[in-house]
Amino acid sequence: MDYLFQQLINGLTLGGVYALVALGYTMVYGIIQLINFAHGEIFAAGGYLGVILLSYMASQGLMDSHPWFGLAFALILAMGYCAMLAMAVEKVAYKPLRQSSRLSVLLSALGMSIFLQNGLMLTQGVYDKAYPTEFTHGGFEWLGVRVSYMQIGILAVTALLLVLLNTLVFKTRIGKAMRATAQDKVMSALVGIHSDKVISTTFAIGAALAAAAGIMVGLYYGSVRYDMGFVPGIKAFAAAVLGGIGNITGAMIGGLIIGMVEILAAAYIPAGGEYKDVFAFVILIGVLYFMPTGIMGENVDDTRV
Amino acid sequence: MSAKRVILTLVAMCLMAGTATAATLKIGSLSPLTGSYAADGNDIANGTRAAIAAIEKEGGIPGFDKIELFAEDSACDPRQAVAAANKLVNEKVVGVVGAYCSSATIPASETLAEADIPMLTPASTSEKVTERGLPYMFRVCGRDDDQSIAAMKFIKDVLKAKTIFIVDDKTTYSQGLADNVEKLANKEGLKVIAHDHVNQGDKDFSAVLTKIKDAKPDVLYMSLQNSASGALMLIQAKRAGVTAAIIGQDAVYHPQLMEIAKDAAEGMYLTFGYIDEETPSYKKFLAAYEKFGKPGAYSAYAYDAAYSLLSAIKAAKSTDPAKIKAELIKGDMQGASKKIKFQANGESGSNYIIRVVKDGKFANFWDPQTGKKY
Repeated sequence: MDYLFQQLINGLTLGGVYALVALGYTMVYGIIQLINFAHGEIFAAGGYLGVILLSYMASQGLMDSHPWFGLAFALILAMGYCAMLAMAVEKVAYKPLRQSSRLSVLLSALGMSIFLQNGLMLTQGVYDKAYPTEFTHGGFEWLGVRVSYMQIGILAVTALLLVLLNTLVFKTRIGKAMRATAQDKVMSALVGIHSDKVISTTFAIGAALAAAAGIMVGLYYGSVRYDMGFVPGIKAFAAAVLGGIGNITGAMIGGLIIGMVEILAAAYIPAGGEYKDVFAFVILIGVLYFMPTGIMGENVDDTRV
Repeated sequence: MSAKRVILTLVAMCLMAGTATAATLKIGSLSPLTGSYAADGNDIANGTRAAIAAIEKEGGIPGFDKIELFAEDSACDPRQAVAAANKLVNEKVVGVVGAYCSSATIPASETLAEADIPMLTPASTSEKVTERGLPYMFRVCGRDDDQSIAAMKFIKDVLKAKTIFIVDDKTTYSQGLADNVEKLANKEGLKVIAHDHVNQGDKDFSAVLTKIKDAKPDVLYMSLQNSASGALMLIQAKRAGVTAAIIGQDAVYHPQLMEIAKDAAEGMYLTFGYIDEETPSYKKFLAAYEKFGKPGAYSAYAYDAAYSLLSAIKAAKSTDPAKIKAELIKGDMQGASKKIKFQANGESGSNYIIRVVKDGKFANFWDPQTGKKY
């Protein structure tokens, strides 16, 4: 029994990361119906900024005296930086194509993804970069189940960010403007909502969440690499589709499900470790085939959006 | 004709004359310069560069003004390796150092064989590399069957293990090695609890590690294709509370392993060729390699491969492949990595020993030949 619980905890941690990345996909899709393929690279950029900041602070001894302050500082700075990066990406690659066909924007997104990944490779090198992880090994054992503080940290930060995001989207003016723009861009503009600004903000928020995920992945696994955004990006995209693309709660649930399925497939199917990715994507195909709107998605008439 | 044009014409003529008399010896290197294996791949390219510098410092090769290296990216990918090999054939290189992943070396070697270009691999340990009867395929490193025998001897004689859990990441190299270990374990009467697989480039190993923690094997045989993956598995194994002795192989032998895993790497064993760091050859290599930083796992092997190739060309006074081969087999030199004596089948022998990670460094631990600790 403790074996199952241990695997569930593993799945929950992995799912939490996917959920945070998936939110960026789903929010952007919700508002401009674009699958932002450059999102995985924003996640990687967050991981890299994290390692640069944390290594610097560790070399100054700050991580020994004020580890929590250091972590929070790196997290907030990386989130801010990635938000600006995503806004710049949106300005350069997507905004000029606002009136073009969806396909052009999609291609632009793919190009941006390749550009950012190669940019990371050229500026940061092809080697893995190690995170200062001395403070992440701790944990406790409870009824035979080992939980590391890092796992709790990931889940806590994920939960906190989700609550903040929900408040932002459903309780604030900008959230209301985002929802209005998502429903009908033209109509919301007519009633005085500055849709370009709203779209830009949406990119920024999604990117900030991805940056947080990037840092947590770096801390949890111990290193980052320039191409680290690709696979989690695709998985998070699968999670967003599973949850119902465009739906925030759906992306969360989708992320957790994909994480769980991956871990449980590896845990219970003999030699399932090699097929865990297959399971994640079989779910994606199954959802697209049998339930195209996903778990939480609504039936949207395509002519309206 | 203006004065300016006269000067330009003269300059152009001088340049043309310069290229006409300067004979350049072209050699190639094939290794993954980008992607997951870029760390080892760049070490191989740099080891080759260091050997060229060393040879040039010793007076170069008579008949050639300079030695030019074409360092191509094989990306550990069969298709890209073949494309890169074709590029080297078009450049008319006289020999190639590489590649890294056996799965890329094998198809690339077929392309080079069609053009009769000698290939010396510093790192591909799969048995298949030299067992296809290619006339100009040489190997500077050891072989996986020898490597698995060394590992199993250690597991049985020193660790005295009864049960073993095997994990690989499904590459020609890593799975081949893991299969060898599984066969030997069955033969030696060890209980193989499971032989599980992960994917190349995975970051999360928590599911399989929880399985291992639950199965409580005496030994975990970790056959992963690169040191960064190895480091991630070590960190997570420590966190998951895996208590088994962990033994890896030559692919995770890289300073990067400890840089990432830090204290989680302590006490891990691995098989790697014995390198005597006290020999003058090794010191010469270190001096030539200095500008590239700390040598990685295959720096010395790549250096030896390139050095053997260039020495053979020098001795043969020719770039004819048959003559180079004759000189390679005739040669018997103390390289930086080991004593290199090529046999007719292209092998140069294995000398695997067990090393252990101690205080953030790889330390020699046990010699399977003598059965003694260092």
